[in-house]
Amino acid sequence: MRDLWPPFRDFFSSLKLTIVLLALSIILVFWATLAQVRLGVWGVQEHFFRTFFVLSKIPGTDIPVPVFPGGYFIGGLLLLNLIAAHFARYQASWKKSGIALTHLGLVLLLVGELLTGLWQEEYSLRLDEGQTKNYSESFRISELALIDHTDPQHDDVFVVPEKLLARGRDITAPQLPFRVVPKAWYPNARLQMRGPNQGGDPSPATQGIGPRIIATPLPLTYKMDERNVPAAYIEVIAPEGSLGTWLVSEMLVEPQTFTHAGRTWSIGLRLQRNYKPYALTLLEFSHDRYAGTEIPKNFSSRVRLTTPDGRDDREVLIYMNNPLRYAGLTFYQAGFDNNDRTTVLQVVRNPSWLIPYIACVLMGLGLCIQFGISLFTFVAKRRTAQAG
Amino acid sequence: MPRRFCLPVSLAVLALLTSCREARVEHYRVPKEKPAPTTVAPADAMASATVPTGSEAITWTAPAAWTPKPPSPMRKGSYAIAGAGGEADLSITAFPGDTGGLLANLNRWRGQISLPPLAGGELEASLLHLDANGLHFDVVDFVGTSNGTPTRLLGAVLSRPGETWFFKLTGPEATVAAAKADFLAFIQTVKAP
Repeated sequence: MRDLWPPFRDFFSSLKLTIVLLALSIILVFWATLAQVRLGVWGVQEHFFRTFFVLSKIPGTDIPVPVFPGGYFIGGLLLLNLIAAHFARYQASWKKSGIALTHLGLVLLLVGELLTGLWQEEYSLRLDEGQTKNYSESFRISELALIDHTDPQHDDVFVVPEKLLARGRDITAPQLPFRVVPKAWYPNARLQMRGPNQGGDPSPATQGIGPRIIATPLPLTYKMDERNVPAAYIEVIAPEGSLGTWLVSEMLVEPQTFTHAGRTWSIGLRLQRNYKPYALTLLEFSHDRYAGTEIPKNFSSRVRLTTPDGRDDREVLIYMNNPLRYAGLTFYQAGFDNNDRTTVLQVVRNPSWLIPYIACVLMGLGLCIQFGISLFTFVAKRRTAQAG
Repeated sequence: MPRRFCLPVSLAVLALLTSCREARVEHYRVPKEKPAPTTVAPADAMASATVPTGSEAITWTAPAAWTPKPPSPMRKGSYAIAGAGGEADLSITAFPGDTGGLLANLNRWRGQISLPPLAGGELEASLLHLDANGLHFDVVDFVGTSNGTPTRLLGAVLSRPGETWFFKLTGPEATVAAAKADFLAFIQTVKAP
C-alpha cells in the first residue's frame, strides 16, 4: 500500500499538472466563447462546462467521441491538484496561514461551482388570478405523465423522465399496470395537421389525435428566444396486449385519454413538474404604468402562501428585486400574461449560493494576511538594518 | 503502482463522485387540480374602461372558419380560431395616441410569451411591413412559451393619426402557424374610411 501512495502524490501535487490544466482551461473558455455564437449560453454550459468531455460526432455518423476535456474534468483535476499540493508541501506555520486561507477559498470556489452545476434548479410558476398551485415547471425538461383520473378526489400520477424516453427501452414501474414502450423520441419536432388527401408514411400513432398529425423531427435549437419542443410515439402494452400507440407532445394540450381495467387514464408530455409541500395562490397581479402611457412602472404579485398543516398562511407581495424566499426556494417576479391577470414567477433553488461569497472573502482575507506578514517582516528587517 | 495509472484511476473516482442521479419512473398522488376561477370585472368598471377611438368605421372581413366571440368593451373585435394545438385567440383593440411607441408595445407582447425584450436596434429586423387599402401595418411573428406550452403571437400594429390599432393572434404554436396565411389575408381586408 505504501508503494501506491508516492506516485499518486507526486502526480497530483505536481506544478506541471497545474500549468497544463490552466492552459487547457484557457483553450476551453476561448473555444466555448466562440461556440456561444452558434449554441447560446445554455448550449455552451451543457457542451463545454457541465460535462467531463467535449464531444464531437464522427463526420458522417451520429457517434460522439470525446475531443477535449470538459469543465468537470479540468475543474475536478484542478481541485485534486490543489488539495494534493497542499498536503504534500504545506507545513503549518503562522507565516503561511495566509496561503492556507487563500487556497481554502479557491477550493471552496471550485467545489461551489460543481455543486451549483449539480444542485441548482430553475423552474417557472405560472398562476392565473385566483389559481392555486403547489408545483412549478421546468423551463426545458419534459416528462411523460400517465395519470389515473378515476378517483374523484385525487389523481394517481406516474411520470417518466425524458431521459428514459430517449433511451427507447421498455419502461415498467411497480404500480403501473402496463408497460410503456417509447417507439420514437424526437428532442425537437414540428407538428402539422395531416391534410385530407395528404400521402406520405402512415403515422405510427393508432390512438388519440396522433393519426391526424405529422410529426417532423427538427434539429436541436440553442437560440435564446427559441426552445426545443419534444415529441414521442408511445406504445402502451397491458398484460393482455397493446392498448395502442399515442403521439405525445407539449403542443398537444388537449388530454388524450383511454380506459384500462375499468380505470380512466390520460397520457401526455408536459414540462417536468416539481411539487412542493405548500401552495401559492395568486390574489392579485398589478401592472402599474406611468400615467397616460403604456410604459410599465412596476409589476407585483400579491400571493397567499399556505401549508397543508396550517403552519403558514400568510400574504406575500412579490415585486421586482423583492423576491419571496421560502423553504430554500426563491420566487422572482419574471413576467405576466393574459391581460395582466396571470403572473409568471421564476423559482430558483441553489443550496450552494453562499459558497462563492464565502470563498471570495476567504481568498481576500488570505491575501491580505499573507501580504501583511511579508510587509511587516520586510519593515522589521529594514529597521534592524538601519539600527545596525 | 506505475505513474501512468494515476490519471485513469483518479478520473474514475471523480466520475463516480459526481455521477448524476439515475432517471426513474416516479409515482405520486396529487389532489385534482381546480381550474382558476373566471374573474369578471364589475359592469360599471368595464364600461368606464372603454377607450373612445373616434374611428369606429374601420372594417374588416374575417375568414368564415373563425368564430366571432361575444363583444367585450375592451375589444373592437374578437375571434376564436380552432386548430391542431387547441384554440387561438384573435383580439382587435384600439387606443389613443401611440401608447408608448411601437417598441414598448412589441416588448410587452414578447413579455407575454416569455421572450426577452428587443433592443431598439433589433426592432426593424423583426418587422414585416404590409401595405393594404392605403394603410400601413407593422407585422410581427414571435414564438415563445405561455403556461409552459409553445405559444406563437402574430401581431399587426396600425398607426393612425391620434390612435393605434392592434390586431393580435395568440395561441398554441401549431394552431397559429396554420392560421398565419389566413391572418395575413385578414389584415389585408382592414379598411378605413
